[in-house]
Amino acid sequence: MANATKGLFIACDIPMAQFIVNLNASKPPSQKFIIHVLDDTHLLVQPDSGGTIRAAISEFRDKNSYEKPA
Amino acid sequence: MSHHGGYGDKGRPPKKYKAAAAKDDDDDGYYGNEAGGRGDDDYGDGEKEVKKRDFTKLELKPDHINRPLWACADGRIFLETFSPLYKQAYDFLIAIAEPVCRPESMHEYNLTPHSLYAAVSVGLETETIIAVLNKLSKTKLPKEMIDFIHESTANYGKVKLVLKKNKYFIESPFPEVLKKLLKDEVIGRARIQSENEHGHDGFTKSKTAGEIGGSHDGLLNEAELAAAAEDKETHSFQIDPSQVENVKQRCLPNALNYPMLEEYDFRNDPVNPDINMELKPHAQPRPYQEKSLSKMFGNGRARSGIIVLPCGAGKSLVGVSAASRIRKSCLCLATNAVSVDQWHFQFRLWSTIPDEQICRFTSDSKERLQGNAGVVVTTYNMVAFGGKRSEESEKIIEEIRNREWGLLLMDEVHVVPAHMFRKVISLTKSHCKLGLTATLVREDERITDLNFLIGPKLYEANWLDLVKGGFIANVQCAEVWCPMTKEFFAEYLRRENSKRKQALYVMNPNKFRACEFLIRFHEQQRGDKIIVFADNLFALVEYAMKLRKPMIYGATSHAERTKILQAFKTSKDVNTIFLSKVGDNSIDIPEANVIIQISSHAGSRRQEAQRLGRILRAKGKLEDRMAGGKEEYNAFFYSLVSTDTQEMYYSTKRQQFLIDQGYSFKVITSLPPPDSGAELSYHSQDEQLALLRKVLTAKDDMVGLEQLEEDADDIALHKARRFAGSMSHMSGANGMVYMEYSTGRKLPPGSKPKPKDPNKRHNLFRKRYG
Repeated sequence: MANATKGLFIACDIPMAQFIVNLNASKPPSQKFIIHVLDDTHLLVQPDSGGTIRAAISEFRDKNSYEKPA
Repeated sequence: MSHHGGYGDKGRPPKKYKAAAAKDDDDDGYYGNEAGGRGDDDYGDGEKEVKKRDFTKLELKPDHINRPLWACADGRIFLETFSPLYKQAYDFLIAIAEPVCRPESMHEYNLTPHSLYAAVSVGLETETIIAVLNKLSKTKLPKEMIDFIHESTANYGKVKLVLKKNKYFIESPFPEVLKKLLKDEVIGRARIQSENEHGHDGFTKSKTAGEIGGSHDGLLNEAELAAAAEDKETHSFQIDPSQVENVKQRCLPNALNYPMLEEYDFRNDPVNPDINMELKPHAQPRPYQEKSLSKMFGNGRARSGIIVLPCGAGKSLVGVSAASRIRKSCLCLATNAVSVDQWHFQFRLWSTIPDEQICRFTSDSKERLQGNAGVVVTTYNMVAFGGKRSEESEKIIEEIRNREWGLLLMDEVHVVPAHMFRKVISLTKSHCKLGLTATLVREDERITDLNFLIGPKLYEANWLDLVKGGFIANVQCAEVWCPMTKEFFAEYLRRENSKRKQALYVMNPNKFRACEFLIRFHEQQRGDKIIVFADNLFALVEYAMKLRKPMIYGATSHAERTKILQAFKTSKDVNTIFLSKVGDNSIDIPEANVIIQISSHAGSRRQEAQRLGRILRAKGKLEDRMAGGKEEYNAFFYSLVSTDTQEMYYSTKRQQFLIDQGYSFKVITSLPPPDSGAELSYHSQDEQLALLRKVLTAKDDMVGLEQLEEDADDIALHKARRFAGSMSHMSGANGMVYMEYSTGRKLPPGSKPKPKDPNKRHNLFRKRYG
């Protein structure tokens, strides 16, 4: 029987997909947000989790970039 | 262009303190008036800060077009490099200010107390500095800047410590200053009264030759020139040789604030025998080498100080020239045995020194100096070593300690820990110290120590000018972005692997493939000689073994290093070598023109510059290298970076020094090309997984950074990433000799190696565990 679930579709590169998977794994079961890992670069996640993921990615990127002290 | 310089790390804060000090000194009678006449405005508050960055009120001089620089009230100076006066202005600025950033068209400099101290010490006088600066500036010189120059130079360079006929004299053109010094208890006690005193104050008067060969002649009018060339009257008193160190201490800025310049009147030193050495006729110093030497020998004496030239620009020739001009015994200190051999070679290549008057002192070759004068080449470690020595080296070290050295030549002064410097300098008696370096940056900002331990910076060359002149190679710098593979990135993110992060991003299969591709391309298409740098030992070994290339790292013996380097230099079959950070300094590999960096020492700007230096030595024909010549680039510097990892952060930080020297980095994202397949390693997922397993199962102490003795000073960098070593690591059992290799037997993909196989247990323990 077909089952319809509303979700947020994410397309990204391979490392970022891994980052999101890892983020999901670090959460307690009640907060897990990935509905389905479609392939290496596509994920379906809970519709309300977009903001959290963006924030986590942006924090991760900031850590990896250097800015010359002003 | 960077703007961090204004109130950067170079010590503006002490300014307030200095201003106060200068006021107390009003009774010194010479600069008192100027120093006191300055308004009481303080520079600290925010309002003034904003005001100083507002340049709307600056008034341009009518002929500003012909003048090359902008001077700002906060001490920053901007120089237009396209001005016809650029060359002269550069020579002048580099003498008085600290370069902050030097891209192609516009340079930024910063006036600091240290840079002005250096200016004074090479013979520039306060009024000359202000006059020339004013002449070059497009606007009227800000009052703040003039005041700052007065304050900073009021005390510097007024007192000199001179060793003449083996007697130490404190010398100054200003008798008031000497009187003030003598009021100090320590200095007063150290004074030795001599019989031939003239004048009412009991100081000895003498004449010193004026400055010659000033590089900014064109900018001074004739009257000023004549004044500079005139002999100057100096006053001096003699001090007790055993008290020299204490007297020097008393004169430092934290005490009397009259830092002493050290000069050696080697022409009038009949006590120490001359060495019969000269530069050979084929040794033609280049213009910038001449210039740096003229700063050192400007007044016919030898000044102590530091000369900064990029690697490959011929630092050794400067060192050898200095030694052959002084012609007294010379102690040459290098960082390791390989560079000792190189200095030994350079001395015999450029100078006519007789073979029996030069010797090496390392743990491998302990040669005794014959005769009463000569050159000894050794390492910092050998001299500073505190433990027990063999009888033989004890004798040699005793000779080094007892001898009076004309010149202490110190290579790579930026890498040697400050405490080791102190030790070396206190152990050896020398008249003059010359420090050589390519990069006056350190992550621990201890550079300022060097100012007082050795002397001020005498000269610093501009990299891009040397590139344009064809003196150093024109390097294409590139950062190659390698995406992490899925599996490696997944492991990278796991918290359990926090200690292995470095190993994971360095061993990233995409990075390996990019490296392999670049090696092939440069070996086969261009016939280049390639050095691959890896700080991570695990990666170094893995890469080198997989690609079947020779490697050198900390545990490689001196004999083997020499053999590998020799093969790299001469053999057509050895075109690539892998080096750990032992190769950063001093290993001279003039043949190499490509560097591939696969892992590096966190964010060390200095390491990046040193590594680039390995390929800066210019190759090929001069006319091809000059601007507009046949070859646009003749050397390549690749930094391989795994994207989305910490490495991106470090990589950007590391590049800062080179960017400040005017280099730009090109980002390459498509290496290896998408159509490359199984001809490069780790194409299949199985291979990649096998590699991943290897990284994850390697012992903790294998995946970290290599630790070398000379790292002691960089410890601050390691703080967050220090790890405990195993006993086998400490005892050296991890060296290549003891390594075990599995050959042939491959684990099927996906199966995990068992953590403890009872069969592999040693006999002794097998019984126990049954």
